[in-house]
Amino acid sequence: MAFLDHLNRLYRFFGQSVFWVLFGLIGVVVGFLILPIVNLFIRDRKTREVTARNVISVCFRLFVQVACWMRLISCQVTGMEHYDRSGNQLILANHPTLIDVVILISLFPQVDCVIKEAVTRNPAMRMLVGSANYISNREAADLLESCTSRLRSGAALLLFPEGTRTVPGRPLQFKPGAAEVALQARAKILPVVVDCRPQFLAKHEPWYYIPPRAPHFDIRVLAPVDPVDMIPVCAGKRNARRALNAALQELFLAELA
Amino acid sequence: MNNDDLYARIKSILVDQFEVEESAVSLDANLYEELEIDSIDAVDLLVQLKELTGKKIAPEIFKDVRTIRDVLHALNAL
Repeated sequence: MAFLDHLNRLYRFFGQSVFWVLFGLIGVVVGFLILPIVNLFIRDRKTREVTARNVISVCFRLFVQVACWMRLISCQVTGMEHYDRSGNQLILANHPTLIDVVILISLFPQVDCVIKEAVTRNPAMRMLVGSANYISNREAADLLESCTSRLRSGAALLLFPEGTRTVPGRPLQFKPGAAEVALQARAKILPVVVDCRPQFLAKHEPWYYIPPRAPHFDIRVLAPVDPVDMIPVCAGKRNARRALNAALQELFLAELA
Repeated sequence: MNNDDLYARIKSILVDQFEVEESAVSLDANLYEELEIDSIDAVDLLVQLKELTGKKIAPEIFKDVRTIRDVLHALNAL
């Protein structure tokens, strides 16, 4: 059996390498060719945004399907009925791996998300991110403002309250930013639990590390929660943020236990 | 504005807006651990300091700030 396990691991190493090359190539083709051509025919910014997000989401859905088909990962999604397609939801997810965002965007095509500024400097990514009008996190003060104003204008916004990937071996820790956005925008929260076992493409883990078994993603979309129900009545601004942050963190910790 | 005035203003921001106990505030009190300022408060504080002094502390520099003394140093260095 050990021999077959080794063979499977070797297969996944090559499979994954091919997959990354494919991912990069398609990124370049979409960023430098498809979107510029599409944008030639679309003048309206909003239509461009919707189109670019659809293109990205379709590509990501394809990536996930190919990765599952190649048995590099397996993936199960439950609770999608809780997702409100009309927007106006703050989608909060934990962030155990580099690729959970690929799965999430494949599930929520029109979602707004925050992109690391360093990523937006990459030329292929700049085209993608620019057309899709995702939020770049240049400055903390602006970031809060853009997040709340997009939510208020009826968008669905995806945030990882951890602010970065989960540090392996440590319980997840939420930063208060996501709670603050929820409170300021008075948005309903859609908690999405990403349970990936065994650990895969985690923080500080090199991309070429291949886990002993193919990682299984169990994505659980929970029932939406109203922030107001999670905080004590009459709490001040700071206490409300703290209470909501703690309650959300508790919710995810319980789900992942 | 000299350091004493600045300190008094920062103290009053902390007490009035961030609900920090006045007795807990000192030059060397740790903003995050002792005064329980979180990252959102820190952003708020930066904005207010800019309004107060007209100087803008870069977020990279503010990352290393731990105490009110550090805040004064950072402002003076600008």
